Amino acid sequence: MPSETGVLGVFADPAGAACAVRALRTAGHDDVRAEAPAPYPELIEALGRPRSRLDGVVLGAAAIGTLAGFALCIGTSIAWPLLTGGKPIASVPPFVIIAFELSVLVGALVNLTALLVLAARARRRRRVPHDERFTADRVGVFVAGGDAARAEAILREAGAEEVRRVP
Amino acid sequence: MRSPPIPARTIQETVLATQGRPGWVHSILILVAAAAAALGGWCWSLQIRYGMGLSGLNRPVAWAVYITNFVFWVGIAHSGTLISAVLFLLRARFRTAIYRVAEAMTVFGVMTAGLFPIIHLGRPWFCYWLFPYPNQRHLWVNFRSPLVWDVFAVSTYFIVSAIFLVVGIVPDAAALRDATRGMRRRFYAAFALGWRGTDEEWRHYSRAYLYFAAFATPLVFSVHSVVSWDFAVSILPGWHSTIFPPYFVAGAIFSGVAMVVTLLVPLRRALHLEDLITTRHLDLASRVVLLTSLMVTYSYAIEWVLALRGPPGLERSILIYRATGDYAPLFWVMAVCNCLIPLALFSRRIRTAPWVLLAVCLLVNVGMWLERFVIIVTSEAHDRIPFDWRTYRPQPVEYGITLGALGWFFFWFLIFV
Repeated sequence: MPSETGVLGVFADPAGAACAVRALRTAGHDDVRAEAPAPYPELIEALGRPRSRLDGVVLGAAAIGTLAGFALCIGTSIAWPLLTGGKPIASVPPFVIIAFELSVLVGALVNLTALLVLAARARRRRRVPHDERFTADRVGVFVAGGDAARAEAILREAGAEEVRRVP
Repeated sequence: MRSPPIPARTIQETVLATQGRPGWVHSILILVAAAAAALGGWCWSLQIRYGMGLSGLNRPVAWAVYITNFVFWVGIAHSGTLISAVLFLLRARFRTAIYRVAEAMTVFGVMTAGLFPIIHLGRPWFCYWLFPYPNQRHLWVNFRSPLVWDVFAVSTYFIVSAIFLVVGIVPDAAALRDATRGMRRRFYAAFALGWRGTDEEWRHYSRAYLYFAAFATPLVFSVHSVVSWDFAVSILPGWHSTIFPPYFVAGAIFSGVAMVVTLLVPLRRALHLEDLITTRHLDLASRVVLLTSLMVTYSYAIEWVLALRGPPGLERSILIYRATGDYAPLFWVMAVCNCLIPLALFSRRIRTAPWVLLAVCLLVNVGMWLERFVIIVTSEAHDRIPFDWRTYRPQPVEYGITLGALGWFFFWFLIFV
């Protein structure tokens, strides 16, 4: 994949990075990205990204797990009936436990799969030039395209330790 | 008092310093743990070869040390998810210094617990019969049995806890990948799963982590409730009680957090992590131990109140037997370790003195193992039919397998650290 052109600013302070992101967005830069060692709330808020689409997928999977749990218990009880003291063959209260466990299991497995898929796709589509410091103690703010000179000025003004053009 | 924030670079350098070659003490401990696990494996092989007669299990005590170990290790496994998920949802920031150790302990605790229902089987090679699967005889497991609920609860708990641990490690592994070279870099890269730390990755990660915590929180409470139903759903005096689920969950958190403290105190000293895992963290964790100790004490008291307020009968008889019968010394050691000794944690001086705290938490774990033993064995040894009463004594293979389980747990934990 060809590398994108843009400007990268390196910040020691997440609050400074968040200020830079806000200023860049106000100045009309639409494609501002960041790389950080932790999900700093102020930075995430400044970037203004929508909520992850995991919600629907995971909750749907949990609901399927619940239904699968009941289906498994009721289906197998009918297929192999254990008649005990006139009790109902498909007795729902104990089956709630299995349904609960399967809803958690299926929900968690689908959550993991969705996270891996979405994170890999996001990494591919919205790349930030990687620097080993960004997983340690520095925050990188990358401005893709747009007016590079203006972006450089805004990043320096916000307190970037280092600003460079990419590639 | 809160200590000033430590710079991210210092945290990374301190953690990196722990990732070097293990020292000779660490290596010897791993060998000792492996030897204990091997001894346990050998004892189990004897039991498979010569049959369950080698153990002390006999009518009417069919559940004893193995099921005690199962309940104990499932309980130990509880604190990890409590600290990871419940304290995450409650935004308790002190968890950040200790949650990785607790999560690892959870996974290794469940790996240990999961062995015991299989060891307990007369024909362990048929353990797959516990799971429902289509077969030529069209037989299915009985979903109305608490033992099958247990299979689902413990398996789900193991899988979700392992996912929680692995997902939590991803950003840390990426940091270690970027800070190392050569083979170690490749090793950490395998766990980092290509993580770079972009805002898009964090966006999905934060949401997914919230869901893992939301799933794991009810799971913490459900797993030990299900374990308690193994007993409470039966009609044996001393087991058939509606207070068992909250009583067992409180006990599990009590022993689990005590085990976290037991592991953390020597670990922070050996790896020079005193600045990251401070006495404040130990203080807050030991408050959880104190709170759950009070809940466990309350549960013990309620058992007695319910038995003494009702008509004289089996329930009262079994409780009096626990306190005065063959197992009375174990009962009283249990009461001292679980109810009296933790009261020392009301003192801030003790909560912030790591080695005293370690001694208290070790005794709590002894007490909690005895609690499970007393509950399980006394009810069976002294059931409804007096001619059937018998005193159970664990046999050498049971001691060997119990020691082996301890070795198995510490082997994995020492490799992890």
